[in-house]
Amino acid sequence: MAGVLYEEATRVYPGSDRPAVDALDLDVHDGEFLVLVGPSGCGKSTSLRMLAGLERVDGGRIAIGDRDVTHLPPRDRDIAMVFQNYALYPHMSVADNMGFALRVMKAPREEIARRVREAARLLDLEEFLDRKPKALSGGQRQRVAMGRAIVREPKVFLMDEPLSNLDAKLRVQTRTQIAALQRRLGVTTVYVTHDQVEAMTMGDRVAVLKDGVLQQVDTPLHLYQHPANVFVADFIGSPSMNLAEYPVVADEAVLGELRVPLSRETLKALQDEGGDRVILGFRPEAVEVVGEGEPAGFPVTVTVVEELGSDAFLYGQYADTADPARLAQTVIARVDPADPPAKGERVRLRIQPGKERLFSAVTGRRLPT
Amino acid sequence: MSTSTTPPSPTPRPAVADEAAHGRAIAAAPRGEPQSPLESSSRRTRWLVTLLIVLAMLWTLVPLAWMLLSSFKNRVDVTASTPQVFFTPTLDNYRNLFRGPNNLAPYILHSVLAAGISALLAVFLGALAGYGLARTQMRGKRHLAFWIISTRMAPIAAIVVPLFLIFRGLGLIDSIPGLVLAYLTFNLPFAIWLMSAFFAEVPSSLEESALVSGCSRWQAFYLVILPLTKSGLVTTFILCLVFAWNDYAFAVVFSGPNSQTLPIAASQLVTQTGIDWGQLTAIGTIVVVPMMLAGLAVRRWLVTGLTLGAVTGE
Ligand SMILES: Nc1ncnc2c1ncn2[C@@H]1O[C@H](COP(=O)(O)OP(=O)(O)OP(=O)(O)O)[C@@H](O)[C@H]1O
Ligand SMILES: [Mg+2]
Repeated sequence: MAGVLYEEATRVYPGSDRPAVDALDLDVHDGEFLVLVGPSGCGKSTSLRMLAGLERVDGGRIAIGDRDVTHLPPRDRDIAMVFQNYALYPHMSVADNMGFALRVMKAPREEIARRVREAARLLDLEEFLDRKPKALSGGQRQRVAMGRAIVREPKVFLMDEPLSNLDAKLRVQTRTQIAALQRRLGVTTVYVTHDQVEAMTMGDRVAVLKDGVLQQVDTPLHLYQHPANVFVADFIGSPSMNLAEYPVVADEAVLGELRVPLSRETLKALQDEGGDRVILGFRPEAVEVVGEGEPAGFPVTVTVVEELGSDAFLYGQYADTADPARLAQTVIARVDPADPPAKGERVRLRIQPGKERLFSAVTGRRLPT
Repeated sequence: MSTSTTPPSPTPRPAVADEAAHGRAIAAAPRGEPQSPLESSSRRTRWLVTLLIVLAMLWTLVPLAWMLLSSFKNRVDVTASTPQVFFTPTLDNYRNLFRGPNNLAPYILHSVLAAGISALLAVFLGALAGYGLARTQMRGKRHLAFWIISTRMAPIAAIVVPLFLIFRGLGLIDSIPGLVLAYLTFNLPFAIWLMSAFFAEVPSSLEESALVSGCSRWQAFYLVILPLTKSGLVTTFILCLVFAWNDYAFAVVFSGPNSQTLPIAASQLVTQTGIDWGQLTAIGTIVVVPMMLAGLAVRRWLVTGLTLGAVTGE
């Protein structure tokens, strides 16, 4: 068992002047399930492939356990990787696919058979051991790919969007299975996905990447509640956080009837950067419907109500302004699913005190509160 | 990734396999189904297709059959002014080929050696170079690929003279290695080009997976990539073999008594005093039949796809 350490790890693809992964600092603890998440092209796969040895490290270093692996070939890193397309060997049976790494290592035949059987039992693949990959369903192929990684008993599992080729229902099932399996085996895992729900549900900690730069690493809950910047705030959570820029008047952020008092620390930070605007964010569930007379509230015209059974979300338009930019913004609020407002109705909403998040309009970073 | 470089989709195959495949397709066509207007029009197309195939087969097979028949005729029958379909067969033509001072055996040996070795080398080197070409990320890869195949575009006549001078300097005239080398100059670019198309079809995640699983590059190549490109290897081998086996232009320039091949032997039967049609058709049969049999033997490799089930996409 071993952790993984990235130190200033950088990758610049030939012919590109911008690093695909830019000075990545990341400490994955022994036995931890770390999820790398971010939008398409942010460098998740590249980071993972650098750890696998499939991509050159142009700067910084990477270590697995105590061993610096920065320039080691993939075969010497003692890792197992699950590819997005599974990369099963079509000319080999399921059993041979799963035992491949051991055969290359020249493990004794009985041991290979035993470990393949164990993994097959774990993954419910026993009846398919003699089949070729092309005779399997997508979900079964996915499990064979997992099995191949497990049989290897590596120091680290690397997984690059292993669920993206499954249908929605199977994806939800499998993600729970993988997470449970990882906890049971206790093998350090680096898991790449662009799906923030997957990241939140599976990871012990989640690392958010954007344009090759690490934005924040934290537990899912902390990431959700205390995003380090506007990007993370917007990326994590579904439906996403309501975010907009507000002018600061005296000691309040004010737009139309919406007023949020700012703390002394926030005002000081704003003063230091010389800004008179602030980005205010609030989650859909940080909002409550209040009576017409409530002074801290703001009026919203309901455009859509999304009823999910256990939840209901209101999508609305600010009703206290004629500014076209403000009108173009959508407010999302969670409302009582038993008594949702009607479409076209005008409601008054209020941000629960202390649930608002403030970010610098200059740097996008979270402001002290 | 820029895999658009190299050649077309790798499905070339000799005529022999082609016909066999068509034959099967027809045999497998459904029959005896209920009538409908659509059905009858599709039946008409099927008849048309069958007719075209029959014509194509006649076009191909009649001359071959005639050659085969003639090779079993005696001197009188073969030149009879009314073509003889029924006659008393004789093996004289074949016997005579292997008799006397101009025995055919060494020619056959030379042909087998020159064509076989050059085709094997072309496949071996072509696989290595083609793999490199398919996987390299280097700049100008497309130009390199085009340059390689362009060397095959010059007519043989254009390279025979310079090659002759070089071979003479190296003492390669009238030797099997000389012929092997000459065929390689033509077959290798083709083999590289064809093999790189086959390798490009294999997803690189397969070899990456092998590398992560503990393989060296070389192990990944022969444990994972090569088995998946078997049909490519066979196709390339057969095409290179056929070219070298049938070659006359190189052989007539570079070979001598120690290295003359079957096509040379055939040409020597056309003399100023006349043509021995019986022996000529016998040689023709000896030249054609092995290639036909080889094509038939490997046709399942020549027509199969390669990476089914490797990846998720259906
Ligand atoms: N082989 C390559 N050569 C040049 N640039 C590349 C190469 N591979 C990736 N890139 C670039 O590096 C950046 C990061 O790519 P990467 O594949 O790591 O993204 P990703 O986060 O995995 O995205 P996705 O979610 O779409 O898989 C992208 O801008 C991409 O265009
Ligand atoms: Mg990716």
